[in-house]
Amino acid sequence: MDTLRVRDAKDVEQVVRAAIANDQPLEIIGHGSKRQIGQPMATNAVLDLSALNAVVSYEPNELIITVQAGAPLADVKSLIDAKNQQFAFDPMDTAPLLGTAGIGTIGGMIGAGLAGSRRIKSGGARDHLLGAHAVSGFGDSFKTGGKVVKNVTGYDLSKLLAGSWGTLAVMTEVTLKVMPKPESERTLVLRGLDDIAANRAMTAALGSPFDVSGAAHLPASVFRPSGDALAALASPGQSVTLLRLEGIEVSAASRAASLTRLVAEFGAAEVLKDAVSTGVWDALRDVIPFAAGGALGAWPVWRIVCPPASGGALGRQLARETGGDVIYDWGGGLIWAAVPPRPDAQAATVRNLVEAAAGHATLIRASEEVRRHLDVFQPQAAGIAALAERVRQSFDPKEILNRGRMARGTPT
Amino acid sequence: MAIMMPAADEAVLARRDAIVADLRAIVPGEGVIDSAAEMIPYESDGLTAYRQPPMVVVLPDTTEQVSRVLKYCQEQGIRVVPRGSGTSLSGGALPLRDAVLLGLGKFKRIREIDFDNRVVVTEPGVTNLAISQAVAHAGFYYAPDPSSQIACSIGGNVAENSGGVHCLKYGMTTNNVLGCEIVLMSGEILRIGGKSAENPGYDLMGIITGSEGLLGVITEITVRILQKPETARALMVGFAQVEAAGECVARIIGAGIIPGGMEMMDKPAIHAAEAFVHAGYPLDVEALLIIELDGPSIEVDELIGRVETIAKGCGSVTLQISTNETERNLFWAGRKAAFPAVGRISPDYLCMDGTIPRGALPKALTRIRELSEKYGLGVANVFHAGDGNLHPLILYDANKPGEMERAEAFGADILRCCVELGGVLTGEHGVGIEKRDLMPEMFSEVDLNQQQRLKCAFDADGLLNPGKVFPTLHRCAELGRMHVHGGKLAFPDIPRF
Repeated sequence: MDTLRVRDAKDVEQVVRAAIANDQPLEIIGHGSKRQIGQPMATNAVLDLSALNAVVSYEPNELIITVQAGAPLADVKSLIDAKNQQFAFDPMDTAPLLGTAGIGTIGGMIGAGLAGSRRIKSGGARDHLLGAHAVSGFGDSFKTGGKVVKNVTGYDLSKLLAGSWGTLAVMTEVTLKVMPKPESERTLVLRGLDDIAANRAMTAALGSPFDVSGAAHLPASVFRPSGDALAALASPGQSVTLLRLEGIEVSAASRAASLTRLVAEFGAAEVLKDAVSTGVWDALRDVIPFAAGGALGAWPVWRIVCPPASGGALGRQLARETGGDVIYDWGGGLIWAAVPPRPDAQAATVRNLVEAAAGHATLIRASEEVRRHLDVFQPQAAGIAALAERVRQSFDPKEILNRGRMARGTPT
Repeated sequence: MAIMMPAADEAVLARRDAIVADLRAIVPGEGVIDSAAEMIPYESDGLTAYRQPPMVVVLPDTTEQVSRVLKYCQEQGIRVVPRGSGTSLSGGALPLRDAVLLGLGKFKRIREIDFDNRVVVTEPGVTNLAISQAVAHAGFYYAPDPSSQIACSIGGNVAENSGGVHCLKYGMTTNNVLGCEIVLMSGEILRIGGKSAENPGYDLMGIITGSEGLLGVITEITVRILQKPETARALMVGFAQVEAAGECVARIIGAGIIPGGMEMMDKPAIHAAEAFVHAGYPLDVEALLIIELDGPSIEVDELIGRVETIAKGCGSVTLQISTNETERNLFWAGRKAAFPAVGRISPDYLCMDGTIPRGALPKALTRIRELSEKYGLGVANVFHAGDGNLHPLILYDANKPGEMERAEAFGADILRCCVELGGVLTGEHGVGIEKRDLMPEMFSEVDLNQQQRLKCAFDADGLLNPGKVFPTLHRCAELGRMHVHGGKLAFPDIPRF
């Protein structure tokens, strides 16, 4: 298979135009760190963006950074970290879960749109993408949005690009919002709550004025002996519920004290500080208990998003009926479920329960064979699916870009 | 009227009586208004310089009625202009002579308050402020706060992606809505999202928000609510030069502080506001910053101290810190009344809405002063300094021949200047008709064609709110055509591996 390593946006246009002329669908990659996610694609050439890796401009005082889509996320993160700034949506590193190497590129970060624990406070990738230059499936470069944080000029096409898994357009340059890193953080640790009680504790915390920036729950069964930050938190047979507060030192400390009182009915809270706290949340964001190299490495993993207050009940049912393990983030609004392997990754069981709870489920990790025969992304109601398809066609009528990645049934 | 609207379809107008009768069959009683006198309140929105009576006004009660009206109009080839409270400052709800004006004013019910999931499910005609009031007893509020929040509807907020003073810290409408029920021009009713943080598939909610009523008619919205911060305090800081005020803003952000609000006023705006509300604003400064910190008291007290140090380091000439709610509200009184205050010193004013990179503020203000001299019209500037959103108020007298045209030309030049400085045409008011013909200053034809193709995915016949946002209308078939760029050679000149 041809891999075409483009040098600039003009190259991308040329490649896409040639692909249209020859009906040769393209797989769009940066570092290829997330290639295992999605339906197996019907593509026969690879468009590699990793050489489009420049930082175009970084203006900390404007809270924006403009980079080419192939820029390594790790490098960009260290660049903004040096100015005490961050991507507040806390992009997930899928490498541990998928067993791949490297955190990937900025383009992949946006195309996947997988936000971490701070999603509940700061939003997702879609909330931080301010503008983009991209090449559509018409082979034309277009821009959308701008390089300022406040802008309503024209349709907000950036929202569609975030989380579109490269099926609408090939981003070449993007402008992202950056935010100051909190000076300090505290994490309250509650032990021994069942899923329902933990969900209630998280709901109470998130309904408080203490500006909680992370609310997660790990049932006892997910703790297995290993050297990671989460395992260090375990005590035998006990679940762990985590509530994070970030900000300036005096504020984080004071809110930690107030929140401890608020959740006292759920038990006494231990407090983790700064680096220890950060390590725990990083491990949680990357779903380390289900890592490819760990005990559940061979199990399919579902990413389930649902109304947060019903997460506890849904997760408990999922664990019972699949025989799997679950981890809760976003106050119950995000559930990671690792399920014992079956040819269908227990899709029918998972989706029935999730749909009954008004949620949606994506199969993030499974073998290609499994992914080929089921819907990786949540199937949508007919009207929405038809509209989404018309939207896709408005960008890429010949289905040249990542053909078949988001929708099953595309001829391969 | 300087802005050309699409030519009216005389064949539709000729059938007006029959159309009114058909619409009455769908929306009975007083829901269809066709008398010239009763349609007057609908002939304009917040951009009052433009007026046009619609063909007929329809005020449905139910989603089902909205669906049937749209389906009927689609089948009959009749244009539709949706309208919320009619507070748009860009002419987004300006009627067309041959169009049905579809008002959502009867959708006034909050359907559900769900504190556990921290959402409110509401009909679109509910005002922005009413949502906050409905949840205030539990300490919650809805964060986006456009200055028209007493009157503007949440449906209109979604259509325009409205902002407000607090959006630097809490985001715009798009960052605070989770789902909606939307009726397409075909009459199809779709439900998008709900109480979950994210929706599956493409982010349709994200594209509907800010689409200015061109993609569909929203009949229900799910918004996020937040707990009110424990306290808020403000600093009011005067500077002898605009540059110093701009530097102060940059240093505050640079120090990692994101204030709840950070507003700047220039001298003419300060004087107009002070004469109106007597807030105790210093009159001998060139720029005044109002910086509000909100959160836990202990945090706010600490940050007030840090901001004070920064402001003094930037050469502030006056500095006051609120010690109670009365003082804080007084600081804000002048800023919040800035538009009516300017209305007192000038028969008419045009409110512009460009965004620039914060650092370009001194350049922008210099350029605006030059343009003010060139056009012979006064200008007062208020500025959401935290996010670079500039609101120059151009003073003119519509009764003097040619002044309105001059004011519009002045405004257009300001927006061109915003784009030249790396900014955009509109930060929160929307394109509507007001900035429609300036879109090519910011977007190429290719850019605009991609946006219009998206419009085609929702409304293939272009019947919903035509004449807004896009300077040139193309047929969907033409936009969807694939131009073959020659080159049968597979992937020429690209490095291979």
